[in-house]
Amino acid sequence: MALPAQSFGGDLLASNLDLVLLAVILVVGTLVAYLVARSMNRLLVAAGVADVVEGTASERAARRLGTSTVAVLSWLLGLFVFVLAAVIALGVAALFDIQSYLIDFIDFLPDLFIATLIVIVGLILADRAELRVAERLSGYKFTSTGALGVVPGLVKYGVIYIAALIALGQIGLADGALIVLLAAFVFGVVFLGGLAGKDLLAAGAAGTYLLLNQPYAIGDEVRVDDMHGVVQEVDMFVTHVESDGEEFIIPNHRVFRAGVVRVR
Amino acid sequence: MPTVRDLLGEIVDGVETVLLFSPSASYYERCQEVEDISTIVVAPDNGVGAERYVELPLEFADLSERIRFGIEGALDEGYIEEGNEVACATKLFDDVIDSVSRARAGDLDQSGVYDLFTNSRGDPEVIRDVLDVAVELGQKGQKGKPVGALFVIGDAGKVMNKSRPLSYNPFEKSHVHVGDPIVNVMLKEFSRLDGAFVISDAGKIVSAYRYLEASAEGVDIPKGLGTRHMAAGSVTRDTNATAVVLSESDRLVRAFKGGELILELDPEEY
Repeated sequence: MALPAQSFGGDLLASNLDLVLLAVILVVGTLVAYLVARSMNRLLVAAGVADVVEGTASERAARRLGTSTVAVLSWLLGLFVFVLAAVIALGVAALFDIQSYLIDFIDFLPDLFIATLIVIVGLILADRAELRVAERLSGYKFTSTGALGVVPGLVKYGVIYIAALIALGQIGLADGALIVLLAAFVFGVVFLGGLAGKDLLAAGAAGTYLLLNQPYAIGDEVRVDDMHGVVQEVDMFVTHVESDGEEFIIPNHRVFRAGVVRVR
Repeated sequence: MPTVRDLLGEIVDGVETVLLFSPSASYYERCQEVEDISTIVVAPDNGVGAERYVELPLEFADLSERIRFGIEGALDEGYIEEGNEVACATKLFDDVIDSVSRARAGDLDQSGVYDLFTNSRGDPEVIRDVLDVAVELGQKGQKGKPVGALFVIGDAGKVMNKSRPLSYNPFEKSHVHVGDPIVNVMLKEFSRLDGAFVISDAGKIVSAYRYLEASAEGVDIPKGLGTRHMAAGSVTRDTNATAVVLSESDRLVRAFKGGELILELDPEEY
């Protein structure tokens, strides 16, 4: 039989066991979360993420708040680890009688985390893509960037849209209508793009052959249809043929269709 | 009592235009705040987003060459007119702008260097890339020995018809462009043999080992230059091409256009 003092201590422990366990799990969870966040931070820096996001709008927004994209990402991971620990602790303590809900929630947690991650990565990628396209376009000198000015924005919101779709799919929400919309958009781009660019596509296909096999080279005297002269330049889409005072810029598919006469 | 500021301030008295050579972004912004003055940026790239900008294809080591290029460019773009007084702020010794000189646009004799880059058949980037290659070749040579080379840029169809092969063309059915990283090594190897490199308007290397047959009659180039320079002078006179020559004997890089010597660079200064 146990001594009264011992049994008293045991009683105290037993009655408070839940609370002690709760505290231990919370402390350990916090510690693990902190370590995970730290190592994630280092991992992201080592992977060069900091350089990739440099200059994007989200990075600038993060900087204004006194943090950085890398820090936000790693602390987010830490937060999820902590929430997981807290939920487990609550379950052990059985403070609420919501065991079955809890299990569902723990199952759901990774999905939620991945969805959040996808949204963040999507936002960064979108910013990055916008920046790239804008840089590319600024290489051309436009007096007004009117119509082309919207292209970077379109690219950006396209990427965000797709990221949102994936995220929604991840947490299992209904995204059927959005997918239909995306399919319609992609179909429109491919179909209309093909229709509008069919000459370019045809010229590019013919140009590939011309570049690979070089049936005529720079300096050869050729005749295409009734255009007669010396080949000055062959690129993917056009062939430059120059005669006295005239330079013909012939689409490559026309060279193909009409055939080319080499003059010797 | 006169101060240094009074004394040297005369240099910029009454100028309407300032040419900034490769300014930093903050310097450019401060310049824009100055009233009654228009600023023109002359730099390798328009990093400061200047409205009036002249591209500098080479960081000319010679200051007067650099200024002359900037003024010719600004004239050509219509930013300034002949007779305008301009102040040119440049880097000379330091990495920041440290010297100012004054010039009257149009007074300087046209050297044609700006024209060489912008109004040639070949693309400006192609000509710059070829000059870069020639300068590097001049610095390093072929296995330590000085080496000569001749590049003919632009109007390649006509140049090919005015030349004949000295050997098999190593660039046949290849798609090598000047500016590709591998090119420096290839050109270094192929420069061992005689003959010219022919490069198209867009920078494709059409051929190596070409013997140029253009007639040298009436070509006037400085005495003492060899046959390679004579060939460069004659081919640029007979066609619309530009030629870049690396001299084997004095190791200078020279550019020819229209049968005339336009530009002379010392590779050691770059």
